[in-house]
Amino acid sequence: MIKLTIDGKEIELEEQVTVLEAARRAGIKIPTLCYFEGLKPFGGCRLCLVEVEKLPRLQTACTLMAADGMVVKTETEKIKAARRAILEFLLINHPLDCPVCDKAGECELQDLVARYGPDAGRFTEGKRHHPESFDDPIIVRNMERCVLCTRCIRMCEDLQGAYAITVTGRGSHSFVEPFSGGRYNCEYCGNCLTVCPVGAIMSRLHRHSYRPWFVEKEVETVCGYCGVGCSMVMQMREGKIIRTIPRMGLGLNNGLLCVRGRFGYDYLQSEQRLRSPLIRRDGELHEVSWSEALDYVASRLKEIKEKHGPQAIGAIGSGRCTNEDNYMLQRLMRFTIGTNNIDSSARLYYAPALLMLEGILGQGITANLIPGIKNADGVVVLGGDPTQINPILGLQIRAASRDGAKVITLGRAKGLERFAHIMLPGAPSNVDVVLGMIIQELREGVELKGENKWLQEQLSKVKVTEPIEGIPLDETIGALREMKNAVLVLGPEVLQSDNSDRTLLLVAALVYLLDARVFLLSERPNYQGAMDMGVLPDMLPGGRPLEMFKQKAEEALGREVPADRGLNLFEMIDAASEGRLKALYVMGENPVFNMPDKDRITEALKKLEFLVVQDIFLTETALMADVVLPARAWSERTGTYTNLERRIQFIRSGTDSADGMEDWRILEEISARLGEEKRFAILDEVWEEVVHVSPLHSGLGYDDIKDGKAIWPYKGEPLRGVEETYEIQGLDNIRPIKSGQVLQLDRPLYHSGSISRHSKALRSIEDEAFIVISTKKAEGLGLADGDIVKLITDRGSLQARIKIDSTVDEDNIYISNTFTEANFGSLSGYEAGRLGSLSLDKNPVKLEKV
Amino acid sequence: MDEIKEILKKYPDRRGALLPTLYVAQKAYGWLSQEALEEAAKALNLPPATVKGVATFYAMYKHKPMGRHLIQLCTNVACMIMGAERLVDLLKERYGLEPGGTTEDGRFSLVIMECIGACDRAPAMLVDTDFHADLNENNIFEILEKYE
Ligand code: SF4
Ligand code: SF4
Ligand code: SF4
Ligand code: FES
Ligand code: FES
Repeated sequence: MIKLTIDGKEIELEEQVTVLEAARRAGIKIPTLCYFEGLKPFGGCRLCLVEVEKLPRLQTACTLMAADGMVVKTETEKIKAARRAILEFLLINHPLDCPVCDKAGECELQDLVARYGPDAGRFTEGKRHHPESFDDPIIVRNMERCVLCTRCIRMCEDLQGAYAITVTGRGSHSFVEPFSGGRYNCEYCGNCLTVCPVGAIMSRLHRHSYRPWFVEKEVETVCGYCGVGCSMVMQMREGKIIRTIPRMGLGLNNGLLCVRGRFGYDYLQSEQRLRSPLIRRDGELHEVSWSEALDYVASRLKEIKEKHGPQAIGAIGSGRCTNEDNYMLQRLMRFTIGTNNIDSSARLYYAPALLMLEGILGQGITANLIPGIKNADGVVVLGGDPTQINPILGLQIRAASRDGAKVITLGRAKGLERFAHIMLPGAPSNVDVVLGMIIQELREGVELKGENKWLQEQLSKVKVTEPIEGIPLDETIGALREMKNAVLVLGPEVLQSDNSDRTLLLVAALVYLLDARVFLLSERPNYQGAMDMGVLPDMLPGGRPLEMFKQKAEEALGREVPADRGLNLFEMIDAASEGRLKALYVMGENPVFNMPDKDRITEALKKLEFLVVQDIFLTETALMADVVLPARAWSERTGTYTNLERRIQFIRSGTDSADGMEDWRILEEISARLGEEKRFAILDEVWEEVVHVSPLHSGLGYDDIKDGKAIWPYKGEPLRGVEETYEIQGLDNIRPIKSGQVLQLDRPLYHSGSISRHSKALRSIEDEAFIVISTKKAEGLGLADGDIVKLITDRGSLQARIKIDSTVDEDNIYISNTFTEANFGSLSGYEAGRLGSLSLDKNPVKLEKV
Repeated sequence: MDEIKEILKKYPDRRGALLPTLYVAQKAYGWLSQEALEEAAKALNLPPATVKGVATFYAMYKHKPMGRHLIQLCTNVACMIMGAERLVDLLKERYGLEPGGTTEDGRFSLVIMECIGACDRAPAMLVDTDFHADLNENNIFEILEKYE
């Protein structure tokens, strides 16, 4: 126990903290400038000076540790004079251009000067001049305003881990600069903008259109880009977002955002947003009224159901839509139309991976808290770069590494290069060999307690018949054995191979042996929710297998539930091309663009008698539709998302949309027109039914969700046990497959599927697709970063610039699926893998120098 | 690269090896261009921005392109008295070389120095790391012509 006195107040402390923190706890505010909560103290600005009895000079409160018996004064004449002098010094060089500075009103320097500052400076020398830099598309740099507090640099290095900026030069010629001196070329998280106390670095997106007092409304919501589910505040004026910012203490991201969440909101105001329902007549899409469109959809669905039966109709749900939307879509399909033909693009990887992991290890196995990653003493990463796919989760791994955790990566993980201790090669199709080698060693000497008999049996069968050379196996095993509190982060890549079931079994075995917490990376904000709501052909809401739960669901709802397992995403495409599926209802998904093999998907959809697309843009899929229904976008509606930790969070409406309708409401209207008697007037009624039907969510009200209490396990009970078994082939004969050069899907940091291409801000950072290749491949072809190459597959070719990634496997060539002009989907083929996920093994590709 | 590896052996951490590495990079590239800084960063596996911050802090690194050979000519009192200023003029006449500048062919750069401690044999200069003294209007060119 430490006792000290600050400004006459006695303070008792349980733990060692700084004088600044002790004062804060006692409600005494000491002025600061270079200090920022969460960053390492720097002690550079000296504004936090305090007088401490028995210490000769004034002390900086942000670096001085509170000690027993200390007597501290925070506001004496001596201190005030010192602060005034410091501020006067800062103002020697700081321009007094507050009227044109976007920071005015929330500038810490302005506030400090107003409180302590001199009325007039005594220095008459000219201020230093340094032109404002507009070299960067996103960040304006005005170094005349910089007070060299280094908050931005500490943010970029210590929390973001990007090391993109530095102080260059010396003395009054010191400036904060990115390496290039111009463009930042960094991770563009914008977190440095949050911490800058003055207007030295500012976002260009709201230049001269933002002032703190312009904000008419603030709404707390959750980012709509990826499965992390970061909290943010939308600041609005006249129904439009001026900016989105994180807040300290708010949400799992606690003050941090990534580039997509921070700058990617401008797609909402795109000119290309859908404004009106459209119906195809004589081959063209025509604007019609809502009632006409809804009536038409209902009548066509009814007609097709009567003629071909309910099994001729299918639906694709969305990882970008809310739980309520997805629930209503599956409700329409299952209970109103009478088919289980419903799935989403979670099929490509997330759903099969999750279901198998849960099948082996138990439901909720991936429900772990992201902020807890940093407390791990070891992190194993495989299947893609978390710092790109789920950036804020990636930061947690960086933080763990900084705190001494051993980080081991398999395969692509460029963003962890500075943080990983062991980087093992791991081509998506051969990662099972590396995993097998690890398991063979790791199981030795481990006493298997028989908690999971089936898994243990499988585990003991593992045999690598042809190991991969050059793997530091001893070192890896040594590091793994030392992990007492391990985390395993699994990404999409290793599941996109023919062997994905075997790979996943090996992953499960590793999780079991390490007793690790698993995290499954998720590219969409609500894949987990879509699945939990029953957007799966063989599962009902609550993650309940159809055959086991059919009767219970019928009792709960008083409705019949179709008995047969429905078609999954791939099967629906096949059924459409074979003419068995006649109608497809697509909500918030763009399969023509987002799935591989664009030609195959297009051909299949062409065969449909009726295609409905509900979206915010006229997507490639919508262009083929018979009816297009404009939905509301993320910021225009409320509802819940379930993130990859299975935290259920609220998204809230802030901006206006006169044109679109919420997805769930469109579905509700159509159901009613199909004879559904139960009506849902407000969103809460939808959730009430979810809670009633899904045992997982029972007892979980909106109030709990709003209070942030909706963290797994919810009040309901997880039902599914562990004891599922799988037929895994070739566990005793694991060896590398030589599949030659294959095309893989890149998942870049700055983009996210077909939404981000409508964001001018994100496009200003990266406006082209890059072909990502390994260092070795680049050397072999004599290529340097940025050179143009031709990429050829049996489906066509394209030219693009290359990006070299030292963590990429030599035989894998990556391209993203973001840009209309050059994308993965139109050049790749696919097969459904054994696990029911996407397999890209037979995707041969060639590269040619141009 | 080999030289950098040698340096790395001598220092307990990579940051410690940065200053000597920057010297090596400067020698290889003539000056610390962006490219040179990137190479140094890569060799030490340090972030390029960090390397730049350190490099720009110290005055002993060159942040502008320099000629293949650096002439550091003293014009302090003793050398001045002994005719150093005339030598400066001659360098300009003969090579078009201004103090602080570089010849068009990139052969020489000229830096004017304060006393280099050779007053007894003034005027004096350093060419790269070689010391030359007792200079006059003729021998200075004999000497310089040896540097290609
Ligand atoms: S935007 Fe992020 S990565 Fe870029 S300089 Fe700022 S903190 Fe660093
Ligand atoms: S740019 Fe802002 S945060 Fe960075 S050192 Fe300057 S004043 Fe501080
Ligand atoms: S990590 Fe994901 S949820 Fe968080 S800001 Fe980035 S895109 Fe949004
Ligand atoms: S806040 Fe303490 S020295 Fe800057
Ligand atoms: S004055 Fe030139 S060497 Fe001393």
